[in-house]
Amino acid sequence: MIAGFEHLNKAFESKIRLGIMSVLVANESADFTALKTLLQLTDGNLASHTRSLEDLGYIRCEKSFVGRKPNTRFYATEAGRAAFADHIAALESFLKNQKEV
Amino acid sequence: MEKKDVIQTLDDIRDMMAKSSRFQAVSGVSIIVVGVYACIASIFGYWVIGAPDTLPFLSGRQDVFQLNTPYRIRLACLLAVGLFVLSLATVILMAYAKARRHNLRFVADKRMLQMAFNFLLPLAVGGVLCLALILQGHYGLTSSIMLLFYGLALVNCQHYTYPVLRFLGYAEIMLGIIDCFSIHYALLFWFIGFGLLHILFGIFYTIKYDNVK
Repeated sequence: MIAGFEHLNKAFESKIRLGIMSVLVANESADFTALKTLLQLTDGNLASHTRSLEDLGYIRCEKSFVGRKPNTRFYATEAGRAAFADHIAALESFLKNQKEV
Repeated sequence: MEKKDVIQTLDDIRDMMAKSSRFQAVSGVSIIVVGVYACIASIFGYWVIGAPDTLPFLSGRQDVFQLNTPYRIRLACLLAVGLFVLSLATVILMAYAKARRHNLRFVADKRMLQMAFNFLLPLAVGGVLCLALILQGHYGLTSSIMLLFYGLALVNCQHYTYPVLRFLGYAEIMLGIIDCFSIHYALLFWFIGFGLLHILFGIFYTIKYDNVK
C-alpha cells in the first residue's frame, strides 16, 4: 500500500456515510427529509447511518417540532469536519502518488 | 482500492456537495407569474404610450402625446419600479411557500446572500445607468440596457443556482444587443425578454426541477 493510505477513515468507507458528511460539510445543516431526498435513501437506512456517525461524534442532531411534525436537523461537528477533510486529503495524496509512479 | 475508485469517490463527493448547496429555493411557477406580470405591464405601457386618449385620466392632456413629458416619464418609472418590487416580492413569497412545502427552513444563509449580491450588483449598476440616461433625456436605449444588465445579472449568478440559468441570461443579452440597433420596437423587445422568455423558462424550470409530473 502507498503511504498516506492509513489516513483513510474507516467510518467513511460507506458511500452513504460519505454522502451524509458531504452534504453537512457543504451546508450549515440539513434536516432528515432533505438528506433522505438528496441521497435517495429509506428512513431506516438513513437513520442507522446517521446514528453511527453521531456515535462517532462527527455529526449532532437537534430534534424539534415544526407545527405538530417532529423535525430532526443534522449538523457536522468540528471533529466531523476535520475527519472529513483528512479523509479527502488522504484520497488526494493517494492520487498524487499514483501520478508520480 | 483502485485509482479509478478513488477518482469516482471524489467525484461523488463533489457532486453531492454541489447538488446540496445549490440555491434551489426559487419556485418555477413564480418565474411564470413574473413573466405574466411583465407581459401585462408592457401591454399597459403600450397602451399608455401608444394610445393615451383611451385612458380616462389622461384625456385632454396634450402633453402626454410626447414620450418625454415629465408626466409620462413619471408614470413609466412608477410602472417599472412597481413591477420590479412586485416581481421580487412574488419570487420571495413563493420561495418561502416552496420551502414550507418541502419541510425546509427558508433562511438567508451565506449562499443565498452571495447569490443575491451577485444578482443585484449588475442590476443596480444597470438601474443607475438607466436613471442617468433618463434624467439626461436619452430614452432610446432604456429597454436594451435593462435587458443587457438583467442578462448579465443572470449569467453572473449561475454558479449559485442551476447553471442552466445562464441560457436565459444569454438570451436576454442577445435581445438587448438587437434592441440597441433597432428603434421603435423597445416595448416589443421588452415584452419578449421579460415576458415571454420568463414564461418559457418558468415552464421548463417547473417541469425539469420542480418534479411536476
